[in-house]
Amino acid sequence: MPDKVSPIKALPPASRTYGAIGPHSERPHWGMVIDQERCTGCWSCAVICKSENDVPLGAWWNRVLTEGEAVDQPKEEHGHLGMDWLPLTCQHCENAPCVKVCPVQATYHRDDGLVMMDYERCIGCRYCMIACPYGVRVFNWGQPERPTPHETGMVAARPLGTVEKCSMCVHRIDEGQVPSCVWSCPSQARIFGDLNDPASRVSRLAHEGRVLLEESGTKPSVFYLKPRRKREL
Amino acid sequence: MTAGTLPLAGRRSPRRSFSRLAVWVLALCALTVVGLAAFAYQVANGLTVTGMRNTMMWGQYILFFMFFVGLSAGGLIVASAGRLFGVAAFKPITRLAVLEATVAVMLAGIFILPDLGRPERVLNILLHANRTSPMVWDISIVITYTLLSMTYVWLYTRADLARGGSPLALGTGTSPREMARDERLKSGLAWVALPSAILLHSITAWIFGLQISRTFWHSAIMAPLFIASALVSGLALVILLALLLRRFRRIEFENDLIRYLGALLAVFLVVEGFLVGSELLTAAYPGAEEAGPILRLLTGNYALLFWTEIIVGLVVPFVILAVRRTRSRPGLVALAAVLAVAGIFVHRLNLMLSGLSYVRIGLPPGVSVGTAMPASSFASFHWYVPTVVEWLVVLGVLAFGALLFTIAVLVLPLREREPHAH
Repeated sequence: MPDKVSPIKALPPASRTYGAIGPHSERPHWGMVIDQERCTGCWSCAVICKSENDVPLGAWWNRVLTEGEAVDQPKEEHGHLGMDWLPLTCQHCENAPCVKVCPVQATYHRDDGLVMMDYERCIGCRYCMIACPYGVRVFNWGQPERPTPHETGMVAARPLGTVEKCSMCVHRIDEGQVPSCVWSCPSQARIFGDLNDPASRVSRLAHEGRVLLEESGTKPSVFYLKPRRKREL
Repeated sequence: MTAGTLPLAGRRSPRRSFSRLAVWVLALCALTVVGLAAFAYQVANGLTVTGMRNTMMWGQYILFFMFFVGLSAGGLIVASAGRLFGVAAFKPITRLAVLEATVAVMLAGIFILPDLGRPERVLNILLHANRTSPMVWDISIVITYTLLSMTYVWLYTRADLARGGSPLALGTGTSPREMARDERLKSGLAWVALPSAILLHSITAWIFGLQISRTFWHSAIMAPLFIASALVSGLALVILLALLLRRFRRIEFENDLIRYLGALLAVFLVVEGFLVGSELLTAAYPGAEEAGPILRLLTGNYALLFWTEIIVGLVVPFVILAVRRTRSRPGLVALAAVLAVAGIFVHRLNLMLSGLSYVRIGLPPGVSVGTAMPASSFASFHWYVPTVVEWLVVLGVLAFGALLFTIAVLVLPLREREPHAH
């Protein structure tokens, strides 16, 4: 997909070490655990995602939802005020509704479990957006508007009239680096790795976590660790 | 008198009716061109010129697609039911009905195109067809059904075309052997056409009904409901077209037929009402989260549309058609048919809006809208209003359909020849 050469190789060694994926099995299934206990709702992941992937104005691949009535508004629980966030992006489902409904196989699974988009094949019918229960797909309604006159990020901009979404920063994964949102999270609330490797940290944590809309049977590759203590305000 | 020279308006002088016909055809051509221009404008600028956004990703085009799929039911009910169940009364309008079905299903297929963000890639649906996609099933059945209805129209009019020496008879004649073959083919085709019609509406329903992401749609009742809606709107449109073409002396039938069709429409309205009610009760009864879209429908933003569907689209036409005295007046039956067609349109609009305006993970700030916004680029609800461009495109497609229908009415013998010829 990316037709730009990733400058990741040019990063200083310390930075590359920090972002390295680490040991994994021979046939990895990439997955992510998001620790809601650690999330502070700072939107760093959402913002770096926009610049990393050149997501145009008005569209977001990655959002931070507040579990409550309004953004960053505390909610009352058992007489205490609390505030939790739910960072939401493509769940890279194993049983992905979007892959099932795409009439032209423009959205498909890679061998490593990632749900990918073929932007040259997509006909822009938006059926995948209808099918996705997580609402993480965005459409290129018009010519992309950007805050700067030039393109940003590490991947090519998507054509008008196609659906786009989180690629789990596949261009970084293919260079042995974790996705941008994982790398940038200041509280290390995102843990990335190989779900096929039982010894990996992500596998161990995934067992403790839950998936979103489990009753829908989509089998996401993204797991959530519930907030474990009450924040009293 | 060959079919082609019949004046469109019976009582008027041929010249005057010709000029009225010319104005009508020219107006339709002009509207078609306007629609094409609007479509070109949309292709150049992207779907941002429509009222759709990520919060309401399907709109008027898909609405008209499913509406026209439904309208195409009328022809097959009349043609197949007449043949399979031996309802002879339908005979005078059979040809009209199958023609209506053909044009309606063609328009349904056309309406998919402007909905696509990349219409020039539409052939990918055939080149890279995904077997698990209901949309692929649907396009397959739409194409099948179009070809089937065209065959039907030809089979029903072929002998009369041959008698008039028309090249559209494709060289076939009217020998007893060929006439006998016609009857065999018609019967055989009815057995294929009826299941295809049921599949067409069911698959269209499954595009929506199989999606776990849309709680309001995810219901086994969707396919039966789509069949019921199709029966209502399809039959109502056939009634309207039959009365219209009788006025223009293109077909002949007694008022008894309209009374009969009106009664049938009343039955279909009851089935539609029953399924809608059953669905609403099942969805609303558990309360809580699942009832969200229902409550929105009954009391919220879309309440007016919903009650229009029920009162104007179901109750009023049912009362008109259920009472024998009102059912015997073709004018009132026509009124009921107009209301029924409009009611089914609003029903489908409600289905679309309430299905899509509900996000399963509806936490704030919601879904990203998709285009640069001055304040926040997120929203959890979006009041969808079609833009002028969307209306012009729809108008263009409708005008094209009317044009096709008009030409077909002028070229094809809709009236059976035998009773008058012998």
